[in-house]
Amino acid sequence: MVRPTKFEIREHATEPALKLSVTGELDMNTVELLARHVERSLADGPRALRLDLAELGFMDSSGLRFLIDLYDRSRREDWELSIVRPHDEAATMVLRATGADTALPFEPDGSS
Amino acid sequence: MAPTLTEQILDRAPDAVVSMDQGGRVTYWNPRAEEVFGVRCEDALGRTVAELIIPDRHRAAHIAGLERFLADGTGPLLQRRLEIEALRADGAEFPVELTVSAVRDGDGWNFHAFVVDLSARKETEQQRDLLVEELRVALEGSERRFETVVGSFSDPVTIRDRQDRIVYANRAALETLGFDSLEQLRSTPPGDIMADYVVSGEDGRPIAMEDIPSVRIHRGLQAEPLLIRTIHRQTGAQRWQLLKSAPLLTSAGEIEVTITVIENVTEQKRAERQNVFLAQVSAELASSLDYEQTLRKVAQLAVPDVVDWCAVDLLDEDGDRRPVAVAHADPKRLKLAEELRNYEQTRLNPNEGIGLVFRTGRPVLYPRIPDEMLVRTASDERHLELLREVGLRSAAVVPMSAGNRILGAMTLVNAESGRVLDDFDLKLAQQVADRAAVAIENARLYSERSSIAHTLQQSLLPEQLPQIPGFELASVYIPAFESTEVGGDFYDVWELEDGWMLIIGDVTGKGIEAAALTSLVRHTMRAASEFESSPAALLARVDGILKKQRARSICTALCMRLFEDRALLAAGGHPLPLRVSSRGVTRVGDHGPLLGGFSDVNWQDTTVELEPDSILVAYTDGVTDAIGADGTRYGLQRLCDTLAQFRGRSATEVIEGLTVALGEFQIGSHADDTAALVLRRRGPWNPERDQQDASEAENLAVTE
Repeated sequence: MVRPTKFEIREHATEPALKLSVTGELDMNTVELLARHVERSLADGPRALRLDLAELGFMDSSGLRFLIDLYDRSRREDWELSIVRPHDEAATMVLRATGADTALPFEPDGSS
Repeated sequence: MAPTLTEQILDRAPDAVVSMDQGGRVTYWNPRAEEVFGVRCEDALGRTVAELIIPDRHRAAHIAGLERFLADGTGPLLQRRLEIEALRADGAEFPVELTVSAVRDGDGWNFHAFVVDLSARKETEQQRDLLVEELRVALEGSERRFETVVGSFSDPVTIRDRQDRIVYANRAALETLGFDSLEQLRSTPPGDIMADYVVSGEDGRPIAMEDIPSVRIHRGLQAEPLLIRTIHRQTGAQRWQLLKSAPLLTSAGEIEVTITVIENVTEQKRAERQNVFLAQVSAELASSLDYEQTLRKVAQLAVPDVVDWCAVDLLDEDGDRRPVAVAHADPKRLKLAEELRNYEQTRLNPNEGIGLVFRTGRPVLYPRIPDEMLVRTASDERHLELLREVGLRSAAVVPMSAGNRILGAMTLVNAESGRVLDDFDLKLAQQVADRAAVAIENARLYSERSSIAHTLQQSLLPEQLPQIPGFELASVYIPAFESTEVGGDFYDVWELEDGWMLIIGDVTGKGIEAAALTSLVRHTMRAASEFESSPAALLARVDGILKKQRARSICTALCMRLFEDRALLAAGGHPLPLRVSSRGVTRVGDHGPLLGGFSDVNWQDTTVELEPDSILVAYTDGVTDAIGADGTRYGLQRLCDTLAQFRGRSATEVIEGLTVALGEFQIGSHADDTAALVLRRRGPWNPERDQQDASEAENLAVTE
């Protein structure tokens, strides 16, 4: 709230899947930006989405909640979501501590 | 507080409005400013006012002035109208009229400048100078010819001789001065004409005969055009007039007479002052949620420029009047008002003044208050004496209302200035009252929400931590700084047949939904703990219930079942607790999935030994996610380092130490809720036992 968080989303149109690369910190301040971006990308009808979190520097519980919601939605709307694991230790820690690392559709290491 | 109220007004202002921060950088640039300076808002924001609109030669003075204001609070430019040149984007300079006000914003200052483009007005003035020049030529011919030129001229024109007598006035001037014929005017001594008016300058200071430009010229002094405000003592009518005079010389070069053109700028001046005043009011109202304080400042802004007295009364829930502000430029006269208001408070006439406005919700205007009215209103001799002493001349009361509800009233009174309040003033007062009403309503809603949130939050945490035999317990809960929302962190401690249960958790989300979810989780755990002895099983129960909720409901929780010398614990997506013992700080337990989020999941119980004097610290991610001044997060390593310093201390000392360390680390307030629960097993150190456990310990020396 007090300081601007470093955050950036880059979009790569790699058919058939759309790829979004997220760098910076995914927290309660920035999660809304990502949500809106994803919403726009999915507006034309569900398609495959590849969310690249490799360069993510931090993720808090609001970021995690977003991922869970997005995964739920992909299954409901029947499109494919895949997530590239963050390299960052703290972000990895959140995924491991919550069981999200096994429950969410992460790509096997080295596939990105 | 949203700036929308101010910005809405400023966006539509007929004048250019430019705001800057105390570094001199543009923070606001309204559409009119785009036109006037030829710079678009997005290009102006963040650049300095100095480089954008101030010509080279004034730049140093601008920067020095700003520095001086920040250093000692004095500003020669503040709240004064100033004519100066400004710079356009194309490099051209043009004349502007400038008013600057300073508004405190937290630790810093914001400055708002209202800029009127004078280019067009200057041109008119030049034409008027030409006219005076022509008149001078005309007068050198015959008086008849002069009358032909000037007589029907719509602006008042007067000629004054060396004895300060007005020897000529055209029809417009006669009308303005209130005379039927030139003869009548000529036979009136000049001092008497002036004595019919209260005359003041732009800054409110009185203007004497010697200050009038035509009189100054006869004294051989410089005579700049003079803007005056006149208030007719009898009628209370007020006018703004710009006096421009020029000498008419004899062939010998001596000053024979002076000719004066009087421009009536009343409408223009009142509109200008209204804009500046409203903008100041809006900025003030938007600056704080303490509306009583703000209303006092607004009343203060109104005097003496707009009105002599300004008072604000609120109508409370019981229908009683509560005075919150009364302002007058002279503090000595304020005492009168205080005494007077005691009278009025005891007797609020429902058919008069504030009483009437409270009853009907409609504004009332008393353009003139005759003495009979004072006699009628007064409740006793002293009251009448006071009313007469104030010198009530004209009054207006406008309601402050939100929808159909009347929140209060604003009272404007003119006394010693002799001004009569008219529809224009009433409209202005109503605009101020409307803005004030919105501010009051916002502040009330905000404080209501805050107090609901606070109450709800209280109900989600245990009122008091229980006493657990053989243990010490302490906790801290720091809500996120936006206090109108209920946070998502919770903890609870309760007794079972054969021990105690401690939980701490975090539901994602905020507000009423989060509160409902927290309540659900706590009650499910409490109820299930009656027959389910394993923490892992408890988490599974909650997980099942959360998955049945209609709205997505996920939460993290740490569940600890406490026995005499050990705890059985299970974590559902929650940070693992830290144990502080003679062997250092170690993380204990195993990670399990968060609750309500995933299918086909299960949890494990882990046994944690608690030797005497060891401490178990459970916390929410608000602790480790706290952001420091350098942008880094507090993190697990810092938390461990801090806790290591409190080894062997009481639970309360640990909580206090952690709170202080977090406070020192963070910039500003907590962005997220933060909760921590500290449990200490009482008793002396037991070195032998410590030695024995050392081999199993997982030392937490590095971050994971």
